[in-house]
Amino acid sequence: MNEEWRFLVTNGYNAYKNMAVDRAILVANSKGLVPPTVRFYDWSPYAISIGYFQSLKQEVDLEECKKHSIDFVRRITGGGAVFHENELTYSIIIPESHREIPKNIMDSYSRICGAIIKGLNNIGVKGIYQPINDILSDGKKISGNAQTRKHKTVLQHGTILLDVDVEKMFSVLLVPNEKIKDKLISDVKQRVTSVKNILNRDVVFKEIVDDMKKGFEEEFNVDLMKGELTKKEIQLTEEFEKNCFSKKEWNFKR
Amino acid sequence: MRSNSVYKIPNGKLVKINLEYDKNKKKIINISINGDFFAYPEEAIEVLEEKLIDKKLVENELIKKIEDIISKNNFEFIGLNSNGLAKGIMMCVK
Repeated sequence: MNEEWRFLVTNGYNAYKNMAVDRAILVANSKGLVPPTVRFYDWSPYAISIGYFQSLKQEVDLEECKKHSIDFVRRITGGGAVFHENELTYSIIIPESHREIPKNIMDSYSRICGAIIKGLNNIGVKGIYQPINDILSDGKKISGNAQTRKHKTVLQHGTILLDVDVEKMFSVLLVPNEKIKDKLISDVKQRVTSVKNILNRDVVFKEIVDDMKKGFEEEFNVDLMKGELTKKEIQLTEEFEKNCFSKKEWNFKR
Repeated sequence: MRSNSVYKIPNGKLVKINLEYDKNKKKIINISINGDFFAYPEEAIEVLEEKLIDKKLVENELIKKIEDIISKNNFEFIGLNSNGLAKGIMMCVK
């Protein structure tokens, strides 16, 4: 019999709550309160997340964000700034000591990205892992991933781009001046793709949930069992949302 | 003096340095290291910033100092390394 992990799908959470949920599961899992967990989610309103080591003011045009009602939040994972619009975001939370998780960080990126690649394959999108933390399809980036390890627990989250509006992306992500901006937009247009671009049709979140879930089951030889956040996790989520992710002190920390 | 630099580490990530330094003594007064790299544990960068204060702005010495801090504290960097960091810092001075 396969090992059973928990599977969560949460839609409609804002940026602060999304980051709070991932951190709450990390804490609960580190205390042995919940099994390894895979979560799929989206962002409402749309939002930018920045890497833990990035400076918010260096990366994000806050005025433009306000204009478009786009939220922003600092992640607890490293990596770069991401504009979360039409995508499926995943997180996996699992003990560092789990036999399916390589001790070496780079190896574990590759392993977890393997689940995403299998999922993409299930929907007809061919993906390959590109170290450090990207998945490419047709030579272009379709997924970005970021991992942290805290309390002997691995949290990796990442995106699967369903559709991408590069112009909008670059109105909110900060680039030094117009000249470079033009160059970057054309560069990024050539470097980024989406499920829609590859399959040549519109694809929505719920359409790919089952296939992406199967990707994790295939990669890790487990069964993902639909579950809910526990009371403790909900309480931790509220705490982290209120005292951390929605706070200026956190988001403007660097 | 205040200065900043943006440096793409070969095969690595983008590191952005904000440096405040003493031009005459060629020493770091204050430094902030930002970027899209990964560092474990997450306090690593803050520790590094703290320990680089008062250090001499000489590339080789900086590399050695940074390597020292990394190994003493068991830090792990991905997309970031001592050479790249020292280079980013020295770019602020030149």
